[in-house]
Amino acid sequence: MSAYNSLTYNASLCIGCGECMMACAKAKTGSADDLSQSRIKIVVAEEGKYEAALCRQCGDAKCVMNCPSGALTKNQANGLIDWNADTCVNCLLCTVGCVYGGITFEASVGHVAKCDTCGGDPACVKVCKSGALGYVTTAAIYNDYGKEEDLFAPGLAACQGCNSELMIRHVLRKVGKNVVVAAPPGCIPGMGTVGYNGKAGAKVPIFHPLLTNTASMLAGLKRTYERQGREVTALALAGDGGASDVGFQSLSGAAERGERILFICFDNEGYMNTGMQASSATSFGSWTSTTPVGDKLQGKRTDAKNMPMVMMMHNAAYVATASSVYMEDFYEKLDKALEASKKGFAYLHLYAPCPSGWRFPAGLTIDICRLMVESNFVTLWDYEPDRGLVFTHPTDKPKPLESYLKAIGKYRHLAQEQVDRIKKLLEDRLAMLKRFAR
Amino acid sequence: MTVQTKAKGKIIVVDGNEAAAKGVALARPDVVAVYPITPQSSLVEALSAMIATGELDAELMNVEGEHSVLSALQGAALAGARTYTATSGPGLAFMFEPYIRQPGLRLPMVASLVTRDTLTPQCVWGGHQDAMLVRECGWIHMYCETVQEILDTVIMGYKVAEHPEIMLPVNVNHDGNYLSFGVTSCELPDQAMVDDFLGPKSINWHAALDPERPMSVDPLTGNAGGAGPSMFVRYRKGQTDAMARSLQVICDVHADWAKRTGRAHAPLVEEYRLDDAEIALVTLGSMTGAAKDCCDALRDAGKRVGIIKVKTYRPFPVQAMARALSKVKAVGVVDRSVSYGWNSGPMHHDVLAAMAKSGFVKPCVSFIGGLAGADMTQSHFERAFDIVAKGDVPPGPIWMNEKD
Repeated sequence: MSAYNSLTYNASLCIGCGECMMACAKAKTGSADDLSQSRIKIVVAEEGKYEAALCRQCGDAKCVMNCPSGALTKNQANGLIDWNADTCVNCLLCTVGCVYGGITFEASVGHVAKCDTCGGDPACVKVCKSGALGYVTTAAIYNDYGKEEDLFAPGLAACQGCNSELMIRHVLRKVGKNVVVAAPPGCIPGMGTVGYNGKAGAKVPIFHPLLTNTASMLAGLKRTYERQGREVTALALAGDGGASDVGFQSLSGAAERGERILFICFDNEGYMNTGMQASSATSFGSWTSTTPVGDKLQGKRTDAKNMPMVMMMHNAAYVATASSVYMEDFYEKLDKALEASKKGFAYLHLYAPCPSGWRFPAGLTIDICRLMVESNFVTLWDYEPDRGLVFTHPTDKPKPLESYLKAIGKYRHLAQEQVDRIKKLLEDRLAMLKRFAR
Repeated sequence: MTVQTKAKGKIIVVDGNEAAAKGVALARPDVVAVYPITPQSSLVEALSAMIATGELDAELMNVEGEHSVLSALQGAALAGARTYTATSGPGLAFMFEPYIRQPGLRLPMVASLVTRDTLTPQCVWGGHQDAMLVRECGWIHMYCETVQEILDTVIMGYKVAEHPEIMLPVNVNHDGNYLSFGVTSCELPDQAMVDDFLGPKSINWHAALDPERPMSVDPLTGNAGGAGPSMFVRYRKGQTDAMARSLQVICDVHADWAKRTGRAHAPLVEEYRLDDAEIALVTLGSMTGAAKDCCDALRDAGKRVGIIKVKTYRPFPVQAMARALSKVKAVGVVDRSVSYGWNSGPMHHDVLAAMAKSGFVKPCVSFIGGLAGADMTQSHFERAFDIVAKGDVPPGPIWMNEKD
């Protein structure tokens, strides 16, 4: 499926000139005289500020759902909501459903009217001088994977703002049904993926390994399927505690043996499911419930174990770091990791900021993810033994580290010398990574 | 060395560890995971060698520790594999986390415990302390007396473990040093006979991790409300019921084996020269050989003594034990391990409980011997018989090797 195109409206750029409405009315009726014929309506929100009433061509369109006659349909080829004059019964229920004012009754023609993007060459965009209106291509990955079945049950109960739930749903969409999923104790089974009291949380085989044995249990399973001549993906969805602390031995052993496993570590820097205790992946200075802040102690006293670098030194078939802000990058790495896991051990390290445990508002998760990369607090790269390390999102002009640290409550207490130590560590680690880069 | 005789199988000369390996190979496991530890190492070395030469067609997993050994085998079993491993002492301790989980998953397997005393003091020699510490984990425990019994019981263990009414893991235990390295001749059963005896395997019909049969394995279960509490009880009760049922299955499997091989090992409890005995010693494992020799010598001297050997220790064969105990006036229980909480040997209070449950009490002395490889000779057992014959029951155990 190709990517959809879509109209965009940036209210902060709109000057309320009305040119778009005139262009639309002209395109649809041949005359710019009657602005009520326009399918885009610019309205005054408050003095000097504007909003647009415009069809958003929704994925789960309320107008389509409300339509009793099948006159409104989502066109799977181009993503538009199509209106069919022949079947419309003029009940206007669609106009009640739409909260964007994107479909309205036009008295002059006696039926509803809505934007059809002028067949892919929208007249309104061409005349918009302020740049408020745009015509963009939506992300191809949405269309590639949005149609794939979500293999987790609806209603998983992750914390508000947690992006791990989003990411595991993406992972399984990509991996598909021919998989066995290991979800060791932590946030991922905690949100219900394995299930409760006999009820399953996923539509694929899934189990709770021990916190300690995810990689070895999967290895035994995978070897058995290999012996039976069956190709089944062995997938771990683990946390940083289960990967870097008690689960580390089995992980290291499986990587050394080149077991054909895809191990994804969701790094939220600690044991967030059980009350935000520190793990060895917790960053220096972090407040956690076991590295508290007081007169004697000021957060975690040691640097985070850098798991992706450790796994790279195991000569794993594929190692990468990823962030949910850069989804194309993530999908590319997931692709490579899946492929690599057919011949060796693949390790994907996903940075997963935790609003509950790190103390930032749930609405800021994606911003924190982005800032984390843009301040060089973490670095996105991937590695294959015969190719070396490649930076996939180099940040040459990083944002100040302080802007990242200040956005997160668990660093609120940091003294300048602690900040300096983090800076030094990040510089050292980046320099070290660069030595592995091709 | 191999000699052809008139017997059904070849006669081979092996030690206990090699015998276990031979038995395992005849049972045709799919996956064998190994990690070395004294006194078990030569067992997994033998298996590794058989896989290397192709004598045994199995997947060999050289993993990085006992914890991963059993974890890998659990994953393998959930994909349908027949599995095997062996361990001892500290290795068993390190394996404990997946070990306590295996019976609840109802995953059948056979694992040899080549028994070893536990640290500290640092020691590498035989004793039952390691196996005794895991006696309440829900595994079936069978102890072997001879090298031949090891070979036979490893094979029988699969038949018990995979019985659809049982579906539990089985530990076949043999004593470190005395049995693991003791060389003797034994009969190697015929492969076709073993194949027919074991029949087709069905490991994961009840719980599988298989995309063709998608299911959630081990979702959270329990807590104080909703469906949890009764569901958890059903799991536990199912497990204990299966343990109880296994006593009959163990008897049936031993009887089948005896019919096919002519070797009738006592399945639960062996009564040796017990029918007209006045006193008896209860033994476990390889010590039984010396105890029987002692018994024979005392019988020659006109003393009415007997031996009650425990083969199946978990589940504890209460009825078979009570039947044996009913024949004597007093008994001594010889343990190769200690129960710190009771100041006696652990089997000692199993025997006391079996009597209480059966409605009688008889004088029952606790003996502890053979710790960390100490000798258990005829004279040690003679002294034990003397003490039991006197009729006094000291408050604490008799430490058999204290003055060696």
